Amino acid sequence: MFYSYGVTKVVIIRIVGGSKEWKISLGQERIRVKELLEKIGLLSNEYVVVKNGQVVSEEKTVSDDDEIVLYPVVSGG
Amino acid sequence: MVNCSICGKPAVYVNRISGKAYCKKHFLEYFDKKVRRTIRKYKMFGPKEHIVIAVSGGKDSLSLLHYMVKLSKRVPGWKISALLIDEGIKGYREYTKEDFIRVCNELEVEYRIASFKEYFGYTLDEIIKIGKEKKLPYQPCSYCGVFRRYLLNKVAREMGATVLATAHNLDDIIQTFVMNIINNSWDKIMRLAPVTGPLDHPKFVRRVKPFYEILEKETTLYSILNNLYPKFVECPYARFNIRWMIRRQINELEEKYPGTKYSLLRSLLKIISILEKHKEEVIQGEIKTCKICGEPSAHEICRACLYRYELGIMKEEKKKVEELIGER
Repeated sequence: MFYSYGVTKVVIIRIVGGSKEWKISLGQERIRVKELLEKIGLLSNEYVVVKNGQVVSEEKTVSDDDEIVLYPVVSGG
Repeated sequence: MVNCSICGKPAVYVNRISGKAYCKKHFLEYFDKKVRRTIRKYKMFGPKEHIVIAVSGGKDSLSLLHYMVKLSKRVPGWKISALLIDEGIKGYREYTKEDFIRVCNELEVEYRIASFKEYFGYTLDEIIKIGKEKKLPYQPCSYCGVFRRYLLNKVAREMGATVLATAHNLDDIIQTFVMNIINNSWDKIMRLAPVTGPLDHPKFVRRVKPFYEILEKETTLYSILNNLYPKFVECPYARFNIRWMIRRQINELEEKYPGTKYSLLRSLLKIISILEKHKEEVIQGEIKTCKICGEPSAHEICRACLYRYELGIMKEEKKKVEELIGER
């Protein structure tokens, strides 16, 4: 895995509302949502995950070209 | 790839304790069963109730409103209304208020918006500014919590509520539990029961928490699946609160040791039942009536009136407070 700067295929991870975005290249690797979040320092119990427009569980696998949108579970106030 | 343990369709949720996976349809059924079980277990409602839902416009309270309106269709004796307290927090409350009004209209629910400005003469932003100028030792969440709870009870009563339902979920409850252990506040821990009151005071509206055993992840998913998830707007004062750190610590523990949150809830219920047997040691004195405003209070003057006095935002009653403080 490496952080991509070019046109390499990547997984795009966004927090809903657009406050943060990550682009990660997994290459041949297929990993679970839970592990993907771990890689960027997030806890899976703090987000509901939408993969390519569908709500998925943290056990779902992810690969390059997928688009992930995270809905924060923790809200302020 | 994980599929629903019931029908085999793609899962939207995995319960990490039971290991069961649920698709959208079966998650909503699981959610409904879990909330109904909580309501039954703690005897939250009778057959005839005017249930006022305290709504902030956030995902949890919109989910509670949505859920209760649907549930009330099966109970002819229930009336549901919604109440939003507008504290007056710029860049936050105006957005959640929009979502609140939209959802109330969609669900055809009667609602009331009560503001700090209307009842206290000042918005929370103004109150915090005054507090800082006067060098008062309180955090933003202290003013907000005291004034909001005060108005929820008062306005729900004015609306004719027989019961006030709040959207506190399992995560909220255990975070407050840990905060109160740190503060050695056992009286406040007693108030974390799923049903509080009616305390021995005619003006106190009974309170219930139907999401008491529901994880915040589950209420969030319910809100997304029902199109209720609001634009993510965070209260600008939230990060000043110790809750922010405690929440992160508990979530880290839960990630490593699934079930930690339910264990904490069981500990809370156990300690509440122990404390109930030692009420006199925990709660000092009977519930009183505030000598200034007439609302239920733990002391002769309620916390809201004391704050108003200290902030200097009280007019006619100021002398009365000074007399009462002098009597002590």
